[in-house]
Amino acid sequence: MVKIQIEKIYLDEKAKNDWMTKRILEALPQVPIEEVRDKKELIQRYHLFPDPLSLGKRRLFITHFLGRRLKPCPGTSNHICCGYYVINAVTNCPMDCSYCVLQEYLNNPFITVYSNLEDLLYEIDEFISKVPNHFIRLGTGELSDSLALEQIIPISQILIPFFEKKEGVFLELKTKSSEIDGILHLKHSRKTIVSWSLNPPNLINNEEIGTASFEERIFAAKKCQDAGYPLGFHFDPIIEYEGWQEEYKETINTLFRHIDFRRVIWISLGGFRYPPRLKPISEQRFPKTKIFLGELFPGKDGKFRYLRDIRIELYKKMVGWLREIDPKLFIYLCMESKEVWEKVFGWAPENSLHLNKMFINRIKDFLR
Amino acid sequence: MIKFKQIKRIKLNEIDTGDETFSVNFMPNLGNLRYSIEKIGLIQPVILRKKLNRYQIICGFRRVSILRDLGSDEIEAIICEEELNDKDFFIISIHDNLLGRGFNVVEKAIAIEKLVYRFKVDSTTVIHEFLPLLSLETSEKILNTYLSLAQMEEEVKIYVINEKVSHSNIRRLATFNQEDRKALIPFISRLKLGENRLKEMLIFLSEISMRDRISIKEILKKPEIETIISQSELTSSQKTEKIKRILMNLRFPKLFQKEEEFEKRIKCLNLPSGISIQHSPYFEGREFKISFQFETPDEYDSFINTLLILKNNEEFKEMMRKFE
Repeated sequence: MVKIQIEKIYLDEKAKNDWMTKRILEALPQVPIEEVRDKKELIQRYHLFPDPLSLGKRRLFITHFLGRRLKPCPGTSNHICCGYYVINAVTNCPMDCSYCVLQEYLNNPFITVYSNLEDLLYEIDEFISKVPNHFIRLGTGELSDSLALEQIIPISQILIPFFEKKEGVFLELKTKSSEIDGILHLKHSRKTIVSWSLNPPNLINNEEIGTASFEERIFAAKKCQDAGYPLGFHFDPIIEYEGWQEEYKETINTLFRHIDFRRVIWISLGGFRYPPRLKPISEQRFPKTKIFLGELFPGKDGKFRYLRDIRIELYKKMVGWLREIDPKLFIYLCMESKEVWEKVFGWAPENSLHLNKMFINRIKDFLR
Repeated sequence: MIKFKQIKRIKLNEIDTGDETFSVNFMPNLGNLRYSIEKIGLIQPVILRKKLNRYQIICGFRRVSILRDLGSDEIEAIICEEELNDKDFFIISIHDNLLGRGFNVVEKAIAIEKLVYRFKVDSTTVIHEFLPLLSLETSEKILNTYLSLAQMEEEVKIYVINEKVSHSNIRRLATFNQEDRKALIPFISRLKLGENRLKEMLIFLSEISMRDRISIKEILKKPEIETIISQSELTSSQKTEKIKRILMNLRFPKLFQKEEEFEKRIKCLNLPSGISIQHSPYFEGREFKISFQFETPDEYDSFINTLLILKNNEEFKEMMRKFE
């Protein structure tokens, strides 16, 4: 179970009367509220604390988002990406993974919910209407966990019915939590894919603080499978360490002892990668972390990745074990180079558009 | 304002020099002060307070020590008779030192440690009132850096002062255990490392130690490292380069193995010395880079011919296949 410990709510006066705000305040009746007029001042105040990131995970900021919240996934330059769109309904997350890129990416330490949800739904509708013959994949798991906060901020419970009626638009909810009770009864028409990030239990215990255990994730996935949701799994970040082969193999085998592979729409693999600024932040917050002990070097996009040979070995082994479960599983690499795709699969998508097309075909096949 | 009594002459043997309650001295540079006292005498009286039947030094440990060495039997002193607690006297001592000589980095650490642990000043007050007084950034990170330095061994403190070690490298040293630090200091002292080289070396050592579950002391005892350290014909910077290579090899064994294999294959091509072939950075891409330098048209012709022939060379093709 993900433990959510909101100790204070900062409420932007613009957000006071929103339906979502009222819903959140009802869910957290004991939590003190401070009204905020100057967001910058609030953020600056927190930067004086020794670890604003840890503190920020216990603070909820309710505000409006005034710009675009639906954006193409930033992916990474010079690598093949999957052409996914991200919906930024919430930023930051109550869980605390040592490798989480949000530690260096977000300039605001709070769990921030943008309560002007109607604007977001309008933006999505408008976007969809502008893409002819659309086949769009979107997700909320880029700048937050899609489900971890669901008990307090039930955004997925709004988005699932919203997308259920849309043609050619698919929502992916990515999570490391087991907060699925609120979505099991919803009508989804297989337009929502529920995905779990997975790692071996040892890694979850040591590097994914505050997340659901491996067993809890599988149990939650099984319930979603039984509720008819297509499932996705993301082995990302794959970490190389002594004994990784046995542990990842066992993780895959355990997963498919409980999950029907025919209900899995896709599986992604992504070797650990990080922007240079993450390492000092993470090492200070997690002095015992071992994620940086591999052979990681800066790549063409400036991010550190494992030596190419190591990545190829990681992926080949993982693909081999997954193919033993089912040779037809749809497996893709996240933010990888064409060279690595070729070495792992013997072929590579021509570019990101090509990979996106493969996703479309996969969805069509899966839903047939 | 604190009231001090007028200046008195106090017998040196009435001063308890063993009581270091208010001292933060570490490696004091007595030369200049001694010269000044010899030349023109003591300008600024020391500050003492009566404790039992002797005098306790609040400010002026170095002046008392020099005058004693110079054979004086008396010193001019201001006697503080106010009923203050030890914390307040210590704060007077800090202010007095700041006006005069200032503190070295270890003395700052000792002062901070005494404020926190001995005089029980809370961390927030130390951060916001005393760190700026010591010309330090007001943050908990800096407070912890100095508290950790105060706990370190004598030889580490000396190294930190002599080599002007940065805050970030002090923090790195603080993550090592005492035994490792004791092994490390004589080792790095022989290499004369700059700030970045020291950082690099500490990171390599710490990561190898953590990954391989061996102590830093054990890493430094590796025969290949000891051999380099003992080679008297090598300069410090040559030793540093060689040791850095060994540590990189230990830290990134797969990259190193690949580099070596690449170099071996390049050697087999028997290229003239003006031509070099490089792989992509960290072998990430498929591309290779050939560069050559020439002085005459004939040399240019010769290199071009070598490169043309190279494309049919089986070893060259094999190298491309292997490292693409």
